[in-house]
Amino acid sequence: MDVKYLNPIIAATDSVFETMLSLKPEKGKMSVQEELITDKEANVIIGMTGDIRGSIVYSFSEEMALKVVAAMSGMEMDTLDKFVTSAMGELGNIISGKATVGLSEQDLECDIVPPQIVTGKEINITSEADSVLMVNFNTELGDFDVSFAIK
Amino acid sequence: MIWKDEYKIGVELVDSQHEELFKRLGDFIVTVRSDQDKEEKRKEIEKTLDFMGEYVVTHFNAEEALQKRYNYPDYENHHKIHEDFKAEIAEFKKEYKENDYDEDFVLEFSGRLLTWLINHVASTDQDIGEHINSVK
Repeated sequence: MDVKYLNPIIAATDSVFETMLSLKPEKGKMSVQEELITDKEANVIIGMTGDIRGSIVYSFSEEMALKVVAAMSGMEMDTLDKFVTSAMGELGNIISGKATVGLSEQDLECDIVPPQIVTGKEINITSEADSVLMVNFNTELGDFDVSFAIK
Repeated sequence: MIWKDEYKIGVELVDSQHEELFKRLGDFIVTVRSDQDKEEKRKEIEKTLDFMGEYVVTHFNAEEALQKRYNYPDYENHHKIHEDFKAEIAEFKKEYKENDYDEDFVLEFSGRLLTWLINHVASTDQDIGEHINSVK
């Protein structure tokens, strides 16, 4: 797994959180696992094709997803309903789209597919990747993970 | 409310129109998320969606006229983004009817719309402000 494609994704995450939510994500722990197992309830999966094939997965706790959408909408959110999950899905889509621009500047041409959202407790997101790199970010609204399951 | 001062691009006409657009978006979302009789709700949803949709057209036209006036270099690309967005709203209206006004369908659309519009205004449109203020 080549680290050079991490930076555009991290940069895109920082930029979108700053612009849209006035949050500054602090990069924390990084870990490499064989599978993507998460205890976070709201997961946005963005498939990637082209020079990099696999998925980027954004994982948020239910609490954080509700807080993020409440911050964007100015309205109280109390369930992980279709409104919340699709708002978070679009966030993942925007970050990933921005990342492909950064990757293209490194001569890596990629496309992304529409978000798939998986909710629940203790989720195992299976993929064809041999390993999964997970980066944890911390913000004032909670911490979230960005995982790369790259083939 | 959805509007935040941080979303300002520094061009008064555009900022005041963005604020109005977000107000109408907010009314649409409140309606979509409200608890009321299905038939009443459907009428309200269509009313608020139309009210927002017509302002999307008004605003995009005004913003694009301004972009042209100031020879905004990314005009063509930006115009395409606007056209694609208008097409998406039209497509949604058609599918909403075909899906018998399904609640989950409109909830899903409105959630995605919220994030998309905030990003468009807070990020994409910022470049317009920077350009106009640099050539004024």
